[in-house]
Amino acid sequence: MVSPSREEAESAGTEFTLDSSEELSGDPAERPGMGPWRLTGRRLRRDKVALVSGVVFLLIIAACMAAPLWADKVAETTPEENHLSDQVLIDGKPTDVVDTLGKPIGPTWSGHFFLGADSNGRDIMVRLLYGGRNSLLIGLAAAIGTIAVGLVLGLLAGYYRGRADSVIRWLLDVIWAFPAVLLGVALGTALALGGLSIGPVTIQGDSLAIPTLIIAIIYIPYLARPVRGQALALREREFVEAARAQGMGSLRIIFSEVLPNVASTLVVFLPLLVANAVLLEAALSFLGAGVQPPSPSWGTMIAEGVDRIVTAPHLTIVPGVMLVLSVLSLNIFGEGVRDALDPRARVRIEH
Amino acid sequence: MRNLCVLVAVLALAAVSAIGLAACGSDSDSGSSAGGGGDDSSVTIAQASQPDFLDPALSYTIHGWEPMWLVYTPLLTYKREDGKAGSELMPGLAEAMPEVSEDGKTYKLTLRKGLEFSDGTPVKASDFEHTIKRVLNLESGGAPYYEVIKGADAYLSGGNADADISGIKTNDKTGEITIELSAPEGAFSYILAMNFAGVVPGDTPFENMTKDPAPGVGAYMFTKSEPNREFVLERNPKFSDGTVPGVPVANIPTVRTVITPSVPQQTQEVIGNELDFMQEPVATDFLSEILDRFGPDGSEEQRYKEYTTLSTYYFFLNGDVAPFDDPKVREAVNIGVDKPALARLFAGTLEPGCSFLPPEMPGYVEALDSADCPWGDPSEAPDLERAKQLIKEAGAEGAKVTVWGDNVDPTPKVTQAYADQLNQIGLDAEPKILDGGVYFQTIGNQSTGAQTGFLNWFGDFPHPSNFFFLVDGATIQPTNNQNMSNVDDPHINKELAELAKEPDVTAVADRWEALNEYLVDKAYLVPYGYRKLSTFLSDRMNFADCTPISPQYYNDYSQWCLKDE
Amino acid sequence: MSSDLARFAIRRLLSMLAVLFAVSVVVFLIFNVVPNGDPAVRMAGKIPTETQIEAIREEWGFDEPLYVQYATMMKNLFTGETVSYFTQQDVVEEIWKGLPRTLSLAVGAALIWMAFAIALGLYSALRAGRFSDRVVTVLALIGISMPVFWLGALMSYYLGYKAGIFPASGYVEFSDDPFQWFWHLVMPWTALSILFIGFYSRVLRSDILETMGEDYVRTARAKGLSERRVLLKHVLRNSLIPIITLWGLDFGAVIGGAAILTETVFNLQGVGQYAADAIGQLDLPPIMAVTMFGAFFIVIFNTLVDIAYAALDPRIRLEGETSR
Repeated sequence: MVSPSREEAESAGTEFTLDSSEELSGDPAERPGMGPWRLTGRRLRRDKVALVSGVVFLLIIAACMAAPLWADKVAETTPEENHLSDQVLIDGKPTDVVDTLGKPIGPTWSGHFFLGADSNGRDIMVRLLYGGRNSLLIGLAAAIGTIAVGLVLGLLAGYYRGRADSVIRWLLDVIWAFPAVLLGVALGTALALGGLSIGPVTIQGDSLAIPTLIIAIIYIPYLARPVRGQALALREREFVEAARAQGMGSLRIIFSEVLPNVASTLVVFLPLLVANAVLLEAALSFLGAGVQPPSPSWGTMIAEGVDRIVTAPHLTIVPGVMLVLSVLSLNIFGEGVRDALDPRARVRIEH
Repeated sequence: MRNLCVLVAVLALAAVSAIGLAACGSDSDSGSSAGGGGDDSSVTIAQASQPDFLDPALSYTIHGWEPMWLVYTPLLTYKREDGKAGSELMPGLAEAMPEVSEDGKTYKLTLRKGLEFSDGTPVKASDFEHTIKRVLNLESGGAPYYEVIKGADAYLSGGNADADISGIKTNDKTGEITIELSAPEGAFSYILAMNFAGVVPGDTPFENMTKDPAPGVGAYMFTKSEPNREFVLERNPKFSDGTVPGVPVANIPTVRTVITPSVPQQTQEVIGNELDFMQEPVATDFLSEILDRFGPDGSEEQRYKEYTTLSTYYFFLNGDVAPFDDPKVREAVNIGVDKPALARLFAGTLEPGCSFLPPEMPGYVEALDSADCPWGDPSEAPDLERAKQLIKEAGAEGAKVTVWGDNVDPTPKVTQAYADQLNQIGLDAEPKILDGGVYFQTIGNQSTGAQTGFLNWFGDFPHPSNFFFLVDGATIQPTNNQNMSNVDDPHINKELAELAKEPDVTAVADRWEALNEYLVDKAYLVPYGYRKLSTFLSDRMNFADCTPISPQYYNDYSQWCLKDE
Repeated sequence: MSSDLARFAIRRLLSMLAVLFAVSVVVFLIFNVVPNGDPAVRMAGKIPTETQIEAIREEWGFDEPLYVQYATMMKNLFTGETVSYFTQQDVVEEIWKGLPRTLSLAVGAALIWMAFAIALGLYSALRAGRFSDRVVTVLALIGISMPVFWLGALMSYYLGYKAGIFPASGYVEFSDDPFQWFWHLVMPWTALSILFIGFYSRVLRSDILETMGEDYVRTARAKGLSERRVLLKHVLRNSLIPIITLWGLDFGAVIGGAAILTETVFNLQGVGQYAADAIGQLDLPPIMAVTMFGAFFIVIFNTLVDIAYAALDPRIRLEGETSR
């Protein structure tokens, strides 16, 4: 849900460029002549809150990547193993992991079932970590996919204008017009059944690639439009004209002159895209159109938890909290990056 | 100001029209939220989804059958009694049980005199033939049951809806009905008692009557049908105590069924007495509270009870594909499945079992539900070592298996648990969950090559042949296969062909029992239990005296009564 | 309207139709090309025979080539004769019944988030840099990071079932009981709005801060206008323009999509939930109808905003495009 840069039209002249980042923020340590990226890095380092958030996010990633370690050494189980008939010792008393009425145990705060079990008797902590791996992986991969395609489309449309621009804009409009969740659910459901085969490439119905692809496609217009707006403006700038006068080919100009100026937009977008992608993946998985069982994801865990919210609320609360923490830390860090790049907060490519 | 004004104006216009639509739309009839007890004489119940059809010829789900067996009465019907007695047949619109010829191919019945449909139209014998024609002509899911009638095939291929079925002869003056079958069918009386044969007037069109259900002879009649929102049953004024002996007049004048998709919501509403009855099993999340408060041993007055049904829950094992083409592997699975564990996923509403035929069904073998089961006592933990050993011997360790299931709770959980259990014994299993709407079609298609998956069967009538068609070699089809395990055992096929002809099932019960044991021994599939359904009522209802349970149709709204205050 | 504007408007409307056409084709392809089973077999019921299936195929035209099926489907859509494969009920009728619910949810939430966003945005802008501003910022960020369905599920349980303050789920028609209609919607509205309140309040805040630094505002102050008048007459007015724009676009998007999650969690049985159910069953007619309906809303709001901007900014009309 990024603003579709309506602002670009209205406020032409304040789009971000490397020039404007040279505006000093008044900090005495900043001196004229310091490179823009260096200025940015400086400001970012002074923003404690953003740094802490960034670290939190990295810690979450690290924890999730360490899922196999936790699963093997501490919980001694796998994310798919059902312990329906097992018992654990709670206060010295053997207790059913899942009782005869189907109610799972709550957090034991010990190695096995640290955060309790789900309705199938699976270890929540293990599923949480593995689920995080899936959710974050999808979010990251989707964001990268969006940037890769959106960047190219935006640059081409903005620089070449004319025919290419019309076609690309129309394509973006079509993607944009699709109600996002509906498209995601439709594709996810349709593909989950039979998978996808295009020529030599076959993707299984339960592969993580499917939600990744869907999410990446949905966000393309959110990136492509601002990039296009910038490319449109940049092509009129002197250094581009100079390059043209020098006889540089169009493609070369795009990639060596225009692209670096757009880079800061990408830097701002990346955390926002990842955050949104993670949320969208959770939404799709919640509706059954994302990650397929038995693979865990925070979204599927919430969906499964809602069925048991009265007798086992921790099933819903735990994955949700993780989700919020991850997205929040990303958003705060993204804020910090944005502020560092342009302390006057004039860039409104946001969300 | 101008800029802002223009913008706001444009968007406000759009928003206002949206609001307008919202307000206008509210003119439509009252919504799905339960209206509570309403007035004193009506009862509100909920179903989670619109019944497949509100047309007796077409409906093939309990959502449809439970209301409709009180609206449409076939020539024969079930006794309206609680428990086992309720699975016996008695005459419905016919005067007496049918006269069956020696060779079992001719059934003679006579229509009762003086019957009227709820709209006052007199009932004629030829209405029966029309009823059957509709079942065939509309391509009902129940049509195969009636194709044993002589001339049914010709009728179907003839393409003329109004043509005669040569095997059904009716005399409107005398009320005589003679049905000739092309082959003897021992369960035919039950087939005559099915909801499909609920008699409707002879001028009922050959189309799905859901939006405007046809009149019938029964304690209730439909007075309103709004698909996906609600339908209403009211006491049939043309039906009185002696109309059909044994079928009582309704106590409660109005029963309103609302469609409320959320089962937790329905459960909360019954707990809070805003809803009088829910047709679905209660949400497992609330089950312990309900048992504690309203169960047989509850702290408050009893409003909840569970009862066994004629159902078997099982996993099919496709004998045509690896690794289940190897009997050792099938045996290993039967040994290795942890039935009590699966029962937990049903929150205690599944009785672990080993028999293919459920309790109360002729042919059920009680010994199978004990340590005498060849695969181990179904209420004990499985012998995993033995199972693993068999898998190793069969060389099937690590064999890839896809485990299929649909997405109706608790099937996804059961499917995932079962897949995990297969992994425990050495296979490499992965669950695959499909939407309920596409599930049967997908696994029933041979080209899918489905190896194993979730299935259950609720008996359409209390005759073992209704279960055994699932393992009859003759019913294997390339698409929409119901014999998912592709069982084609000559002994079973032969026994079934012979037993089908027997009109008296009790006389051959021992042969059915032997067949049941034979099937279990061969490990063609993995039965793991029998489902209990439940009745949960609000406190307005007189639970103690007025809640008989029919083994076939479960709840009899006509025999419900309110508490006298 | 000047002829430039008229031409622009017409071009945008044509483009809108082209987009909607493309959307319908894509939906059609997804459900016909992706392997998902045969609707004829599904419609034939529990134990169908080949003849039954063939008959259904013929009756519904499944044996026709794809483009013929597409044309028939679109024709049925516009004449209002679309019937679900699955339940055989009229799709447009179902959408019509669900529409008041979805709109009640979307419009209510939109008004709420706008009101709160403006209030919060203004508040934090006026106290920029101070502690209260940071608090609001943090709250806003939390709002943005909250998954709607999770928040909804928790509210439904804790405030609804457990505390009994609000009804946990369900929808009551306005004509039946206006107060209950409102009361049943409070939680869904809140869940849906929190996300947008967070986002919009921050956009407004930064817009206000930027506008306050503009020359004409300094001029107004120099002229001696009171701070309050400066604020209301100049700053707020101009900062609101981008917000209102976003609001228009997001409103379209909410009706089109985000409502599904809230409707599902709270069982409002609106158009979104109807679509989600249909998708699960791979039931093409409702899916097509709801997607077109959603896409229509999104596209129409986009186009309205475009035209409104063209009305305000002549450059856009002339260039025939924006740097959007």
